[in-house]
Amino acid sequence: MLTLTVNGAKRQVASAPDTPLLYVLRDELGIMSPKFGCGLAQCGACSVLLDGVEIRSCITAVGAVATGTSDITTVEGLPARWAKQQAQPMTDSSLHPVQEAWIEQQVPQCGFCQFGMMIKATELLERNPAPSDDEIKAALTTSGPSAHLCRCGSYAAILEGVRHAASLFASKKSVV
Amino acid sequence: MSHVSFDGATIFGARLTRRGFLAAGGALAVYATIAPRDAFAQGAAPSHSLDPTKSSSWIEIRADNTVQFRTGKCDFGQSSIYVAYPQIVAEELGVPLDAITSVISGDTDRTPDGGGTFGLLRTNVVNLRKVAAYTREAILEVAAQRFGVPASRLTVKDGVVSAGSQSMTFGRLVQGHDLTLVIPVRGNATDFAGLVVDGDPPLKPVSSYTIVGKPLKNPSLTAKVTGKTLFASDVTLPGMWHGRVIHPPTLGSTLVKAGRLDAKSFPDSRVVINGNFLGVVAPSEWEVIQAARDVAGSTEWTSWKGLPGHVDLFTHLREKVDWSAVPVTRGAGNKGDAAAAMAGAAQVHTASYEFPYLKHAPIGPAVAVGDVQADGTVTVHTNTQNPQYLRKGIATMMNTSIENVVIRTYAGSGHYGRSNGGNAGAEDEAVLLSKAVGRPVRLQWMRADDLQWSTQGSAMYSTVRIGLDARGRVVGYQSDHFGPPMQDDRLIGALLAGMPTIDAPAVTVPAPHQAQLLVRDPWVYHQVPNVAEAGHGTLQIGQQASPLKTGLRDHSMRTPIQFQQNFPREVALTEAAALARADALQFRIDHTSEPRIKDILARLRDASAWQSRPSPSPEAASSGDRLVRGRGVSVIFRDNGYWACAAHVAVTPSTGAVKVERMTLVVDPGIVVNPLQLKRQVEAGCLMGVSIALHEEVPFDEGAITARDWLTYPILKMAEMPEIKVVLVNRPETGVYGQGSETSNALAASAIASAVFDATGKPVRRLPLRPDNVRRALSAQA
Repeated sequence: MLTLTVNGAKRQVASAPDTPLLYVLRDELGIMSPKFGCGLAQCGACSVLLDGVEIRSCITAVGAVATGTSDITTVEGLPARWAKQQAQPMTDSSLHPVQEAWIEQQVPQCGFCQFGMMIKATELLERNPAPSDDEIKAALTTSGPSAHLCRCGSYAAILEGVRHAASLFASKKSVV
Repeated sequence: MSHVSFDGATIFGARLTRRGFLAAGGALAVYATIAPRDAFAQGAAPSHSLDPTKSSSWIEIRADNTVQFRTGKCDFGQSSIYVAYPQIVAEELGVPLDAITSVISGDTDRTPDGGGTFGLLRTNVVNLRKVAAYTREAILEVAAQRFGVPASRLTVKDGVVSAGSQSMTFGRLVQGHDLTLVIPVRGNATDFAGLVVDGDPPLKPVSSYTIVGKPLKNPSLTAKVTGKTLFASDVTLPGMWHGRVIHPPTLGSTLVKAGRLDAKSFPDSRVVINGNFLGVVAPSEWEVIQAARDVAGSTEWTSWKGLPGHVDLFTHLREKVDWSAVPVTRGAGNKGDAAAAMAGAAQVHTASYEFPYLKHAPIGPAVAVGDVQADGTVTVHTNTQNPQYLRKGIATMMNTSIENVVIRTYAGSGHYGRSNGGNAGAEDEAVLLSKAVGRPVRLQWMRADDLQWSTQGSAMYSTVRIGLDARGRVVGYQSDHFGPPMQDDRLIGALLAGMPTIDAPAVTVPAPHQAQLLVRDPWVYHQVPNVAEAGHGTLQIGQQASPLKTGLRDHSMRTPIQFQQNFPREVALTEAAALARADALQFRIDHTSEPRIKDILARLRDASAWQSRPSPSPEAASSGDRLVRGRGVSVIFRDNGYWACAAHVAVTPSTGAVKVERMTLVVDPGIVVNPLQLKRQVEAGCLMGVSIALHEEVPFDEGAITARDWLTYPILKMAEMPEIKVVLVNRPETGVYGQGSETSNALAASAIASAVFDATGKPVRRLPLRPDNVRRALSAQA
C-alpha cells in the first residue's frame, strides 16, 4: 500500500507504484476533477498541485508522489487550501477566490479544461498575487509542461477570471 | 378558441383534462400526443422510466408554485439549457425566473422531444416556447373556470392570475388537482430533428418581456467549478470494467491476426474480437491501457492506401474527382445572368480558395459507458448532442427495438457538432465491449483514437469570379464550391464489426446525409444584379476504396459548410474591393440593401477604429523582416442574425508569421436573450475561429490520419489570443431569438486572411494561415 496526502487527508492506495496519479485519483479515490485529456502532458486537463507546483497527473507515477511528505491538491481541495492559508473556518459553501472569480466572470463553457486552468491560476496567484496580463498568459502557455488548452476558446474569460481572482486575493487576504 | 367545461377544455388544439382530485399536492403536467412508434416505445419500456405515465411530461406546474421543464437537448457549455431556456419558459408562462427549480435534459427515458443539440435558440426553442404558451393558456382556462369569468378577462403576472379583485397563484390553481394537458406534435423523438410541436398557441408579445434580455449568470457553473458536476467520463457503475480499442493502422486496414495478450502480465484482461473491431477489457484503467498497448504491438493488419494525402488534397479534388456523379445544387439567391455579366465586365477578379479538413478536437476524447444486460436491454452513459438519434443507431446496430435502448447524458467535453447525429465515437464501441464481456464497460478513447478515428469537418475548394463595371460596382458574382458531404453519422464500431448502421452519405440518401453539396451561405449583397452560386458534391474521400467503408468520414462542425463557403466569398469580396480601389468595409455597405448589415458595418467601423482606405495598406510589404500591419473585414448572415468582424493583424513577411492583434465583432442576432452569456459565446467562438485560421488542418498520408496528439493537431494557445471587443445589437422588434457562439468562429478566418492581404498586398487563399502557407503566398508572382 502507498500513502498519499490528497486535499489534506492521508489516503491509502493499492495501485501499483507505476500507475499514473490521474487514474489513482479518479478510479481508486473517486476524485474526479482531474480529467483525462491526452495522457501526454500536452493539454493540462489533469493538472493538480504538488506542494504548490502544478504537475500533470497523467504522466506522474503515483509512487513518485507517495513520499509521505508531498501534499496533493485538486480542485475539490481548493476551498480548504484557501481557508487553511487564511486560517479561516471552512463551510460547505466556501470557495477559493479562483473558483469565486470563475463563477463571477462566467468563465467555463463545457468546463472540461477548467479544472486544470484553475489549478494553474492558483499556482500563479500564490506566487504572484498581482500578475500582469502578459504574466497570466505566460503562466497558462509556457510555464508548465505544455500550454493549458481550451477548445471552446474561453481564453478571454480566463484572463478576466484570473484578474478577478487577483483582486479577490488582494481584498480577502487576512491581515496577519 | 377554448371550449369551457368543468373538467376539461380544448386549448388552441391542446386537450386539458382533470384526471382526479388529490388530497395533497397537485400539478398540471404537459404531454405530447404520441406518434404510434413512440407510443409503443413508452408502453414497452416502463422499467427505464421514472414514472412511465410522466415520461413525456414537458412542463410541470406544481402546487408549491415551482416549475420543472424537460428538453431532449443537452448542455455543452452554451449555457442555453440552464439560462436562456429558463428565461424563455418563465417569460412565456408568466412566472418569476426562480419559480423554475428543475431542468431535466437529454436522457432518452426522461425527456419528451429528442432532436439534436444545435440551433438551441433558433429551431429547438420554438418547441419549448410553444409548450410554455399552451401551458399558460391552460392555466388561464383553469382560472377562468375557477373565477367564473371568460379567459379573455384574465391577466398573468409573476405567477399570479388575476381578474378584477380575484387573484390566485399558479400553484393554488393546480392545488388538489391532477391536471393533464396533451399538446399536438408530429414526428418521432428518434427522428434526426425530433418531435415538432404543432399548432399556434398565442405567444407573449416581445414588447412586454421582463426576463428575456437580462444578463443572468449560468447557475450550473457553481457545481462545475467545485468539481461536483458529474461528467460523462466520471460515470462509474457497479461491476464496471475499463476498455480500450485497438483501431486499425489505416482507414482501410483489416484484421489479419489479433495480437497475443501476455496473460502473466495482464491476468485479468480480456481481448474482444468482432470482425475488424479489436478491443481489450480489464478491471482497472492502467491495466487495460498497458494490455491494449501490448496486444496492439503484435497485432497484424493489412496495409491500405486509398487517400490522396493532405499535401495533394486540393490537386486530387481538382483533377481526380468526377464532380458529375452528384447532382449540382444552386444558391437560393441566384438571379440574373452572371456569365453574361462577367463577359461585359470592365474587370473580373477570379480566384480559387482552399479550406482544409478540420477536427472538432474536444479536449476530452470520446468516452462512454456501455451496459448491455442479459435480457438484451442496453444503456449508454455519455455526452451526446442527439441522444435519441444515438438510441436509434445503437438499436439498429444491436438488431433490437428502440424500446430496449436508453441513453443517459452527462456534462462533457464540447463536441462542436461532432455528435449532433448521435455519436462522437466511443458509444457504440463501449456497447460492443460490454456485450462481449457481460458487464458494464467504460470505453475511453485515447488522444490518438480521437484524432484518427473521429469524423472531420469537410474540406472544400471554391472558385469565385467577381465582375466589376468601370465605376467599380459589382455587376456579377459566380461561385462554385466543390467538396465531400457534411454528415456521416454511421457508427464506427458497427463499421469495424460489420454490424448494421445507417447508409453512408450518397445521392439517394435523404437529408442531412445526402452527398449533394448545398449552398449554405445566404447571399446578402442584394445590390449585385447577377448572382450564380453552385454546390458540387462527391462521396467521402477514400470511402469506396476502403474495405472498412470508412475513408475520411465527414461531419458537420460549427457553422458547417457555410463556413467553408463564406470564407471564399468574403476574402474574394475584399480582393474585388481592392481591384475597384474601394475600402473593403464601405464596399460591402454599398452592395447590400439590408439596413441591419449597413448598421452593423457602420458600428464595426467605429468600434474597431477602422481606417477607411483601399487595400493593400500603403505600408504593405510581402518580403523582409519588417513587421507589417493590416486590417480585414467579414460579414455573415446565419440563424436570422447578422454578424460583422474586423481583424487587425501583424505579419512578418520573411517568416510568414501572422499575429492576430485585435478582433472586433458586431452582432445583431435579433432578440438578445442574455447579453452576458452571448458575449462569452461570441468571444469564445471567435477564438476558436482564430485557432482554425492560424493553425488547423487535418494531416493525413495515403492511408491514415497522421495527427495523434496536440503537437500534430495544434490549436490556439492563450498567449496567442488577440484583444477582443464584442458589440451586441439588441433588436426586439424582429421577434426572433438571437442564436450565438458558432457563427463567430466562421468570421475570423476570412477577416484575418483579408487583413493579411491588406498588410502584404498578396492574397492568401488557403487555410490555415500557417507560416508555410503564408510564405508560399507571399512569394507567388502576382
